[in-house]
Amino acid sequence: MSTPPSKGNSLAAYFGFGEIGDSPAEQKLQDMKRRKTKRRLWTLLGLVTTWALFYWSLLLIEFRLSELVGQFDQFVEAMTEYFPPTTYFGIPFVDVGAYWSFIRAENLILAVEGGQIVWGAMFITMGVAFAGTVLGLPLALFFGVMSSERVIPYPFNFLFRGTMSLIRAIPGLVWFLILIPLAGVTPFTGALAIMVDTTGYLGRLFTDELEEIEDGPIEGIRSTGASSSQIVTFGMLSQVFRQFIAWIAFDLEHNVRAAIGLGIIGAGGLGLELYVQRQTFNYTEMMACIILIFLLAGSVELLSQRVRSMLREDDNVEKTGIIETFANVPRNIIGSTMGRR
Amino acid sequence: MSTLKVENLSKQYGDVVALEDVSFEIEDEFVVLLGESGAGKSTLLRCVNGLTEPTEGSITLDGEDISGSQTDIGMIFQQHNLVEGVSAYLNALTGSLNRVSMLRSMLQWQSQEDKVRALEALETVGLLDEAHQKVSRMSGGQQQRVGIARALVQDPRLLLADEPVASLDPSSAESVMGYLRKAASEHSVTALVSLHQVNVAAHFGDRFIGLRNGKKLFDVGRGELTPELIDDLYGSVETVSLAKQASKPDPKQNGQQEGAEPADIEQEIEA
Repeated sequence: MSTPPSKGNSLAAYFGFGEIGDSPAEQKLQDMKRRKTKRRLWTLLGLVTTWALFYWSLLLIEFRLSELVGQFDQFVEAMTEYFPPTTYFGIPFVDVGAYWSFIRAENLILAVEGGQIVWGAMFITMGVAFAGTVLGLPLALFFGVMSSERVIPYPFNFLFRGTMSLIRAIPGLVWFLILIPLAGVTPFTGALAIMVDTTGYLGRLFTDELEEIEDGPIEGIRSTGASSSQIVTFGMLSQVFRQFIAWIAFDLEHNVRAAIGLGIIGAGGLGLELYVQRQTFNYTEMMACIILIFLLAGSVELLSQRVRSMLREDDNVEKTGIIETFANVPRNIIGSTMGRR
Repeated sequence: MSTLKVENLSKQYGDVVALEDVSFEIEDEFVVLLGESGAGKSTLLRCVNGLTEPTEGSITLDGEDISGSQTDIGMIFQQHNLVEGVSAYLNALTGSLNRVSMLRSMLQWQSQEDKVRALEALETVGLLDEAHQKVSRMSGGQQQRVGIARALVQDPRLLLADEPVASLDPSSAESVMGYLRKAASEHSVTALVSLHQVNVAAHFGDRFIGLRNGKKLFDVGRGELTPELIDDLYGSVETVSLAKQASKPDPKQNGQQEGAEPADIEQEIEA
């Protein structure tokens, strides 16, 4: 501690309550020391409060280190189930066969039974996403076009804009919960939730795209004596046709991820399978589901990106590498499930 | 065969007088509208097209008021105003939109007749072989010619063009004007074209209407467009007279009228 020498009552002086001199500089020093003391007291209070809240939270969640220590062996065991070890040609490796036999047994991809194809969980997820996208597409187109100021004059287009904002304010996950009374805890309801979600998001993307079109072609079509719906179709929509297709591809990719999230809360497919295996503590089977989810979401994303960059030759579509795409899958699934893009 | 009659046309934007008491009548002619920027050329064309409502006066086409109905009037814009992402053929075909229902036009179920007409219009402007190409891949001159084709597919009685060659290089400008002239005469429609380039106007026009400050300054036939009139219209702008001199075969014959020339050029184009 650097206490000022010679002047008595050094501790009080250190905290700014002692007498160290009468010159303006010394007075100021005294003042600054007092301020510092005040800051320290606030910091102390903050630390004490944080610690108290933390301790209280630990009590509430019944946190016990002994539990972690006692369960550690079980966790290691679970890890060997997540990644069952085996050896290939003497080299230790994860037993891919274990995953595969589960995927076959539960028919997660597809199977042929008696000459008929039985579609598995992966295709159910895909189906939820695809059906939802197609169902939502006409609605998105309608709301997207009607929200454009060039189609519907200013105050009235906000009726459609507002509806889309409202839809977007509620995540797809919650739409699923809301729509359960309509079609039960089924893939069907999942598709309906995605339909609603698509209306809000894809419609908004359409509107944004329509804001950027040029006036020239619209006037050109108007000059031919076309009807107002023809002016919208040929003067406006024909300008953004390619961009719309690109946005649809983007939305489908998002919806596949959202469908996985919806599956976990009951909309079937890979998400549901993952949830069921979790409930029965079948770790190898859980990991098999997770791997399939990675593969599905990653492949759809890759495909969609390639389609989009093909359609928008001039624009810059973010083009990520294959490894990066698959590495981003978990984060993107969470994002899509929560309604973020 | 059509007659455009403009009577006592006036247009005010607030306090600004864009057109003041303009009258003229044209019948199956290729008429060029001359004047400085802001002289009222665009306002006049927009009034005739029905894009702008005149303050006073009347505009009739074959005796009928032209209020709002644009189907009979083909318009060619300075910036062509085509849909760039689709082919020249589909752009030309949009000229037939007023004759088909929404659903049929969306599914491209226009009549065979309209489809052939679109391709014939492209043939008229020399683009039949390029009909399948996207407009965005075409040059400025070709794009403007597609614009002419679209106007022709409308089967109009009156063809309007608002500075159709203002953004083109001299050689494209000449070919576009040549095709426009040819299109008007082949389909025997009245044409009203505003132009900036006096020498281009002199080559192609049958008749010239000069506007200054919203008023009609002159309305002369092919033989009567004199350098004095041009000087009057633009004030003494040196580059205008320079361009005129350059287009003359013999600079010494300064006093001679301009009319003799366009006929030869026209023959060249139609040949």
